[in-house]
Amino acid sequence: MKSKMTNREKTFWAVVIPVILLFFTFNTLPMLKGFLYSFTNYRGYGDYDYVGFRNYIDLFSDARVGKSYLFTFKYALAGTVLVNVLSLIMALGLNNHIRFKSALRGIYFVPNILGGLVIGYIFSFFFTYILPAVGNTFNIGWLQNSILASEKYAWIGVLIVGVWQAVAMNTIIYISGLQTVPEDVYEASSLDGATKWQEFWKVTLPLVVPFLTINLVLSTKNFLMVFDQIMSLTKGGPAQSTESISYLIYRNGMDGGQFGFQSANAVIFFFVIVAMSIFQMTVMNKKEEQL
Amino acid sequence: MSKRKIAKKVAAAFGLMLCVAGLTGCGQTSSDGKIEVELVSYKPEAVAAMEKIEARFNETHDDIHLTIDSPNEAMTILKTRFIRENYPDIVGIGGDINYSNFLDAGLFMDISDLDVTGDIKQAYADMDKELEFIPQDGVYALPYVANAAGVLYNKDMFEEHGWEIPETWSEFTALCEQIESEGIQPLYLGYKDTWTCLAPWNALAVGLTPSDTCAQVNMGNTTFTENYRETAEKTEALLQYAEPNPYAYGYNDACTAFARGESAMYTIGNYAIPQIKSVNPDINIDSFTFPANEAEEDNVLNSGIDLQFCVMKETKNKEAVYEVLRFLYEDETINIYLDDQGGIACKEGEFELPAELEGMRAYIEAGRMTDYQDHHYPSEMSVDAMIQTFLLDESDSAVDTFLTRFDTDWARYNRDLIRKVQDYQKEQG
Amino acid sequence: MKDEKRTNWVLTIVLILGTITVFFPLYMAFIIAFKQPSEMTNDVAGALAFPSRWSFDNFRQAMEVTDFWRSLGNSLLITVATIVLAIVIHSIAGYVIGRGMAQRKSFRLIYLYIVSGMFVPFSILMMPLVKQTAQMGLGNRLGVILLYVVFYMPMNVLLYTGYLKNIPIALEEAADIDGASTWTTFWKVIFPMMSPMHATVAILTALGTWNDVMTPLVIMSGTGINTLPLAQLNFQTQFGTNYNLAFASYILALIPILLFYIICQKQILNGVANGAVKG
Repeated sequence: MKSKMTNREKTFWAVVIPVILLFFTFNTLPMLKGFLYSFTNYRGYGDYDYVGFRNYIDLFSDARVGKSYLFTFKYALAGTVLVNVLSLIMALGLNNHIRFKSALRGIYFVPNILGGLVIGYIFSFFFTYILPAVGNTFNIGWLQNSILASEKYAWIGVLIVGVWQAVAMNTIIYISGLQTVPEDVYEASSLDGATKWQEFWKVTLPLVVPFLTINLVLSTKNFLMVFDQIMSLTKGGPAQSTESISYLIYRNGMDGGQFGFQSANAVIFFFVIVAMSIFQMTVMNKKEEQL
Repeated sequence: MSKRKIAKKVAAAFGLMLCVAGLTGCGQTSSDGKIEVELVSYKPEAVAAMEKIEARFNETHDDIHLTIDSPNEAMTILKTRFIRENYPDIVGIGGDINYSNFLDAGLFMDISDLDVTGDIKQAYADMDKELEFIPQDGVYALPYVANAAGVLYNKDMFEEHGWEIPETWSEFTALCEQIESEGIQPLYLGYKDTWTCLAPWNALAVGLTPSDTCAQVNMGNTTFTENYRETAEKTEALLQYAEPNPYAYGYNDACTAFARGESAMYTIGNYAIPQIKSVNPDINIDSFTFPANEAEEDNVLNSGIDLQFCVMKETKNKEAVYEVLRFLYEDETINIYLDDQGGIACKEGEFELPAELEGMRAYIEAGRMTDYQDHHYPSEMSVDAMIQTFLLDESDSAVDTFLTRFDTDWARYNRDLIRKVQDYQKEQG
Repeated sequence: MKDEKRTNWVLTIVLILGTITVFFPLYMAFIIAFKQPSEMTNDVAGALAFPSRWSFDNFRQAMEVTDFWRSLGNSLLITVATIVLAIVIHSIAGYVIGRGMAQRKSFRLIYLYIVSGMFVPFSILMMPLVKQTAQMGLGNRLGVILLYVVFYMPMNVLLYTGYLKNIPIALEEAADIDGASTWTTFWKVIFPMMSPMHATVAILTALGTWNDVMTPLVIMSGTGINTLPLAQLNFQTQFGTNYNLAFASYILALIPILLFYIICQKQILNGVANGAVKG
């Protein structure tokens, strides 16, 4: 029996070691290299010098980087809240006693399977030509100008597309959450004479909190990393008002000769994502325990 | 049952994968025994001309096989390839900051021993010299074709209405107002693509500031606030003659609008002409130098090297590469390119000037030309977006905000360069 | 009690009307793809009207310009290979780590190490990876596939180990006593039992890789190899103003995944839900 277990263990290690090596080579190693580059003035080609913490100091005084963080956070916050409210409503609707339930669920999931880039191009046309045309026809002033051309509101255009795509996924997750709520809980509560509203707050919501955690973490992370929509809708404009962190790292790191500087930006971005995720999970875990 | 289903699916997936792999397979077979020379050109719009040149070269050469690639987003692709240390033999790039950077990084080979470098027009050889951060010995680029930027106008429309070509700034604004009063849009701008903001900016700046402004700033002798105010104000003044909300439309939209006669003029370079003509082949276009000043004799034409060839240091086939360059620099080859793309040849000799540049002929022949200011701007500083930001800023202090930002950002993005230049000066004593 | 189960018609109708938000952009893209540039007008009615003639010219032209079949082939190759490798490698890894965790602390650490990879944004890996894959000769489709296998490893290992908790260890012990090796036990007993999770992993991985732009963009740029989304990106920069041609190309790019979705809709929805519940 003992030798059997060692054999088993041997097999285990034989599997785990190559897997770790693979993971290390293409995940941890480049991350460490990125960390190293962040202390250089490397352009990506040619030679370079180590510049100590200069890139990090610059990061905090760089208005463009600051702006991209502001945009990304504004976008992620608004997106996460909107997506979760909308998808919870959608899930409640789609989980109700309705006809064509599976067909409707199927249709509402479509935006999620379509690629962000192509969807962005389609919406870009919609924002630039169709909406202003609607504005002109019905004389609605604020619609007459393309929303993507406005420094103030372009981010809302990007947000609409991001939310349109993300709601689908979260709705499905909430639906599976709602399905774990046993029918008799509702029956019990309706016997107690609870209104629908009370029922939602007292019965439904606490039971879907674990799914809320997943959804919050997932959508925050996805929104923070927004890239495709920026690439197809605004390319960071107008006036650099919609440059997301990922987009800036790509644009200036690969194309603009800021390999070293943007590596530093990426390192900070990494810590931000880790911190956000841990924060959300701790808070939600506490909430779960309380309930 | 589900087991079998999965197994089936996996098997099907594998089968499909193999089929596809077989279908698409590697398509790169090296032609037998020939020396391969790879040229990457950054001008996707010139792909047709480049293909013609490539075919002609390969027809006439048995020992060398030339491949010319003109990908989209070529600069990103080139830089990514440099990051990967995967170099082509020759690159066709513009005479701009990228050239300066690549040269500074030691990527290019000295080609002064190539005979045809003696045929380069002096004005363009000088422009390349000015692009060197630190003065270098030798020749590192073969300037091919230059472009010129100013104002393109719809000739038929001008003749029909009897409008005069303006020679001073006030004549220009008066013209715009007249055009407007006749119910026609004077300008159509494609400011959604930020780089187009630089077109009028450059064309104005060459007339309003010294050509070595950036170098002088790097040496600490002047500031942009001192030099760029008028350029900024005049760039802003153009907005009142453009379509409402130009930030909604891109370069392609603007070219299309101008081609369809929706505007009388377009402040852009001659490089836009093929794009415009692709929409409306019959349009009759001419151009004039941007009248930036109140006195005609102060105006300068904005012209720079649009395409030049540089040889990568890593190339293993110097002789074959030189043969390619000699072929490219034959008058006939240059004419293939000019016929397709227009522009001004950078080689000494008689080359036909495109009809669309007739209005700039006097300037070109007299050599009253200065390189684009933005050829000295670091790309990561994104001056194009800064100009767009400035144009969108409607407050009274917009110009001041912009100029201050220009100076502070410049100092930061050029820090390593400024240090290098000053070290070099110290070394030289 | 039966009364409560009555169909809520008001809600049904509201939800049906709501599908306009999904269909409208697609409808718009669809009709634009069929129109000619001369049919494009600047008023609402004109923009939404049917094309005067249903012609596939735009599609034919778009297919030529984007080299559609080749891009499709590349996308298929990358996605399918990633899925197959993900199912095989990640399920073994999930199994070994999951079972090992129960006994040894070192496996617990390995689990945490791999799963924490979920927080690593691609942006930080991007630039070093471009250099590294090129040096290893992986700046190609194989490189992209390998990278996907690594990127999806944290999520998939999490899913598999989570699912493994539902499979009683007694089954393996029984097989052990019969003298089967660990390998045989895994392939004969555990791997088939994990099939619901295989479906989930396949679907989540497929949705992510099929639509991904950034990885192939930076890893394969300049090699002339396009995936379907990459072809759209290149197309857009080159022919951006011919909206009719562009939209034909977009529609073409959307069709494969839409077809796949229509065929496997049930599995996909279940798979996604499954991933959420188990994760």
